[in-house]
Amino acid sequence: MHRIWAIIENTFKESLRQRILVLLIVFSILLIIVSLFLEPFALGESPKILRDLGLAVASLFAVLVVIIIGSTLIHKDIEKRTIYTVIAKPVKRTEIIVGKFLGLFLLIVILECAMAVIHQCVILIYEGAFDFPLLIATPFSLIEIMILLGILLLFSSFSSPTLSAMMGIIFFIIGHASPDLKLFADQTQVAFLKYLAYGFYYILPNLENFNLRLELVHKLPFHADQLLFSICYGFIYTIFLLYLSIIVFERREFK
Amino acid sequence: MSVKNQRMMTSVSKWFELHSLQNLFFHYNFLKMETSITLKNITRSFKTHFWEKEKEVLRGISLEVYKGEVFGFLGPNGAGKTTTIKIITGLIRPDSGTVSIFGNPADSLEAKKRIGFLPESPFFYEHLTGFEFLKIHALLSNYKDCKKAVIESLHRLGLKEATNLPLRKYSRGMLQRIGICQALIGNPDLLILDEPLTGLDPIGRKEIKDLILEEKAKGKTIFFSSHILPDAEAVCDRIGIIIDGEIMQVGNLAILLKKDVKTDEISLEDWFFKQVKGSPVEIRDKL
Repeated sequence: MHRIWAIIENTFKESLRQRILVLLIVFSILLIIVSLFLEPFALGESPKILRDLGLAVASLFAVLVVIIIGSTLIHKDIEKRTIYTVIAKPVKRTEIIVGKFLGLFLLIVILECAMAVIHQCVILIYEGAFDFPLLIATPFSLIEIMILLGILLLFSSFSSPTLSAMMGIIFFIIGHASPDLKLFADQTQVAFLKYLAYGFYYILPNLENFNLRLELVHKLPFHADQLLFSICYGFIYTIFLLYLSIIVFERREFK
Repeated sequence: MSVKNQRMMTSVSKWFELHSLQNLFFHYNFLKMETSITLKNITRSFKTHFWEKEKEVLRGISLEVYKGEVFGFLGPNGAGKTTTIKIITGLIRPDSGTVSIFGNPADSLEAKKRIGFLPESPFFYEHLTGFEFLKIHALLSNYKDCKKAVIESLHRLGLKEATNLPLRKYSRGMLQRIGICQALIGNPDLLILDEPLTGLDPIGRKEIKDLILEEKAKGKTIFFSSHILPDAEAVCDRIGIIIDGEIMQVGNLAILLKKDVKTDEISLEDWFFKQVKGSPVEIRDKL
């Protein structure tokens, strides 16, 4: 267990000490705070904008962190040859992948929780009370991050950071366009496009499952079974991606 | 008996003495010894680019390194030293042949538990301090009391003052030393050092050579590659010469150096060029 912990600790510290992270944190906090001053432009919708913008910024911040840092996670170690001494120690490659995953995920969990706290403070300043139901968005956003991190780790274990980052962005965009993809597949008359769209819909992750902004901002009811399905879907998809990453990394050589 | 015949008799007796008795003695001793590393018919080819033909980097090399010896793996740049070391440490796999470390496959955890490895021109996690870096490697080596082991290791290699300094601020020599610290940290039975003396000043080289001899005195096996022949000469019990992916010579250093001239001992550098037959320029051209 302490071997995995060593990798987690190293990945956490390595990610935490990247300068880009500080920039992203400052920018995101500023954006959340700026939403306090949008009232003149909000046409009476300030409370909703305050909530929507805060959730969107926290989610986008986490996505940017995971794409920027996650895309270089394995590749940088191989490129800089820092992985040589780790591979030569009595450590399984599975432990390296799991440790890298958990190390960056732990950092994002802390940062997203901090963002949620700041968002709650901004709401408290504006409305004089917290809006605790909004906090439900954080764990679901984190499940989305788990899937994206799994995708980046998989590509990072055999390709360049640029390709990994591009794949991360493509999966993020298609993942959020999943309902539209299904609609297209249902309505198109061209058989080839229909099967292609269905194929993408079922194979690529449906990240809209984890987007609760609409329900939370407009205070719409949740369906418990839908939430439970999203949680299971997120975990199973992540485990599958980690499994693929481990298979690729097991076969990897360090020339 | 003529002077010519007398000279010939002396040469023959010397040859007999060196080749038969001494060699027999050494081989007998090593036969009794446990092997730390066994390489059997290792081949490995690489493609630089996917459109290029594969280049055979290792051409069926076989080698045995015995427990408790300092083995120098010598050869010019591009001869296959680092590829061999990467195969021993499980970083790459051979195309054919077998590698075993104390009887275990090279990429098994059992083998890795007994190996300490210093890569060539090591790069380490720059964001970590010396202490953090070694602590992580101690945890990876299953060390429970890692703090004590780390501090002892830093003190031993003269890095006490740099304990809390980020690795990006370390000099080349300090990085080499912290690299050796991480190799030593699990108290491994076998140290594999790829060019450990490259880039070090004379004091640094002396320190590393002393450390190699200290580890040998503790019964550890040291396998190191180098192209700095006088350094290898100073610490090795046996050497292996690899040229263009083939092992040219393996043997006891003292015997190999005397073998060819039959009279006085020559330097390893002179002997090396004699073995590979040619001037440095010719050898480079051949590669």
